Amino acid sequence: MIEVRELTKRYADRTVLEGVSATFSKGEVVALLGPSGGGKSTLLRCLNGLESFDSGTVRVGEHSLEPGRARTAQLWSIRRRVGFVFQQWHLFAHRTALGNVIEAPVHVKGLSMKEATERARELLAKVGMSHREGAYPSEMSGGEQQRVAIARALAMEPEVLLMDEPTSALDPERVGELVALLERLRAEGLTMVTVTHEMRFAQALASRVLVLHGGHIIEEGAPAEVLSNPRHERTRAFLGLGQAA
Amino acid sequence: MSAEPPPRTRRSSSLPSGYLALAALALLVSCGGKEGSALERVRQAGVLRWGADAQGGEPYAMEDPEHPGQYRGFEVELADALGRELGVRAEFVQNDWSSLIPTLERGGSFDIAMNGVEITPARAGRVLLSRPYYLFSLRLMARRDDSSVTGLESLRGRRVGTLSNSQAWDLLLSSGAQAIPYEGVQEPYIDLEQGRLDAVLMDDIIAQRYGMTRPGLQVVGDVGEGYYAIAVRPGEEELRRALDEALDRIARSGELRALFRRWGIDGAAQQRMVEWTEAQTREVLAETRTTRLGWSQLVLFLQAALVTLLVSVGAMALAIPLGMALALGRLYGPRWLGGMTTAYVELLRGTPVLLQLYVLYFGLASVLRLDPLSAAILGLGLNYAAYEAEVYRAGILAVPKGQLEAALALGMSGPLALRRVVIPQAFRVALPGVTNDFIALLKDSSLVSVISVVELTKRMTITAVDVRSWLVPGALCAALYLGMSYPLSRLARRLEAKLERA
Repeated sequence: MIEVRELTKRYADRTVLEGVSATFSKGEVVALLGPSGGGKSTLLRCLNGLESFDSGTVRVGEHSLEPGRARTAQLWSIRRRVGFVFQQWHLFAHRTALGNVIEAPVHVKGLSMKEATERARELLAKVGMSHREGAYPSEMSGGEQQRVAIARALAMEPEVLLMDEPTSALDPERVGELVALLERLRAEGLTMVTVTHEMRFAQALASRVLVLHGGHIIEEGAPAEVLSNPRHERTRAFLGLGQAA
Repeated sequence: MSAEPPPRTRRSSSLPSGYLALAALALLVSCGGKEGSALERVRQAGVLRWGADAQGGEPYAMEDPEHPGQYRGFEVELADALGRELGVRAEFVQNDWSSLIPTLERGGSFDIAMNGVEITPARAGRVLLSRPYYLFSLRLMARRDDSSVTGLESLRGRRVGTLSNSQAWDLLLSSGAQAIPYEGVQEPYIDLEQGRLDAVLMDDIIAQRYGMTRPGLQVVGDVGEGYYAIAVRPGEEELRRALDEALDRIARSGELRALFRRWGIDGAAQQRMVEWTEAQTREVLAETRTTRLGWSQLVLFLQAALVTLLVSVGAMALAIPLGMALALGRLYGPRWLGGMTTAYVELLRGTPVLLQLYVLYFGLASVLRLDPLSAAILGLGLNYAAYEAEVYRAGILAVPKGQLEAALALGMSGPLALRRVVIPQAFRVALPGVTNDFIALLKDSSLVSVISVVELTKRMTITAVDVRSWLVPGALCAALYLGMSYPLSRLARRLEAKLERA
């Protein structure tokens, strides 16, 4: 599904990703773990071209991204297949919940307003937001905004859903609801890659975890294995620090 | 120009308002009380202050290019001679020509007005006029290749330029021509040459200096004559009589015509000035007229308000898309485009819009021949685009970066993301600024009177001079401006409230 090869990303004074290679297969749910500054959010943002990189390749299906400024046609086709849910959701502030979900299907995919609205209502029902379809983002709680953001991403019928720290702005009881929602999506066969540093979340959802540290993948495996019996001392240190990281 | 507040001389404007009120009070008392004290006042002060506009230029009165602060012209020499006859020194006081009489009436800082002031029934009904000192003709000029202008009768319904509130202005209105008001003496001839006017009717002295020097123009003929006289405040009869006697002496001694010869404006007809009698003075001053504000003026005011609205809406309709293009070019364009838009904004914002209108209308006339209304809309539109660009740029910068990223992540192209997500939100931020600019534009549109568009403020000044009152026309003018701007700001506030929710 997504293949990352020898990905290197540098900022002026430091290297954020150094020769990272990874494969994300269809139907897989992968959690990217690691301490802050380890490169996991940057890796996620490289997967749909929100971030450029210095060397290596990212391949999504038959499309690929090269270092430097991406060719826009490639970029658009990749983004239409890869959904992204931001840490702060970034719902369109001038549109209602329904308007947010309709926007891209109508203006990017060219769906009719009627068809897009029907589909959007189904998706809002799926994420449990039917009763709030007329609300503006400023009128919604964090959890509600997140669910609308997920519906907005799903409206483009992506093959992969990327999520950046989906639990970081949620109350603990809301995390349970999110897990339940994502489990339903997993059951439907959606491929998901999520950045998180919440172990419970990773354990509940992921079929595989990757631990990033200092721009490298230092450990990889099934969640139960990596979390209970980490091989790398950095992983141990990271898990020992737990959520404070 | 016309955008200035009601007339006030440069001197009195520098006085604190308290003094001004005191001076006005003193004047009221002196007017109502002892008559003829003006001459004594002049004699005691030892100076005769005369109001004129140096912008009127040659040969009347102008600043001496070699000695700034000093003035020359045939009226300057005449004033010196008058001072000598009265035993005082003559002192030039600068004042806008179109407001010379109102300023004199309301007790400005000069004793008399002498600057090609024609004897007209309207003026004779407002102020005291001396015996004439110069006989002029109203000279009609047209383009050399235009044989359709043959005389006054041929002007019906056609565009003829002249100075507002002049004798030529009255003559044009009464003969059914479309009189176009100008504030300078050069501009009407430029416009005639450019084909924006069908003819120009001005005093022969002006035509000789500013019109007949242009090869593309020809004199059609002289269609009337009139006199220049000195204007004196009502009630100051004694001062006027003293001036009459002084003028008589200067004319009879041959000094007057010698002076005319020096300035190249003498002619056989001027002998009438030498042989002028008091009976003739009574005769030419016999006809007086006081115009009152009536329904016909109200209609003209409403028409002028429509012009103001048309110019403002037209200019804004141009400024909004152009400003948006400039803002986008500056924020998202390549480096060279960003540099160009920055230069545009700085240039248009950093120079007076009045100057831009002059350059667009007169300066570029040989390459871009715009009619006055188009030039007004284009000039203001180009200028306001610079302000709009900055308002929109601030609005776009106020939209969080995540909004654009979210749109791009959904597969939108950059332009689509701007159009669907960033700009609608930027608009919300920019709306109060845009409303503000539109209301400012509504008022700034009064500047276009310098390129001969008669909008609301210009109409107000013309009428105010006509009816010798600034209060009623001023209030009417203010009410019409408010009538246009207030509903607009209400509408904007409602729109803001509606957008507030999102």
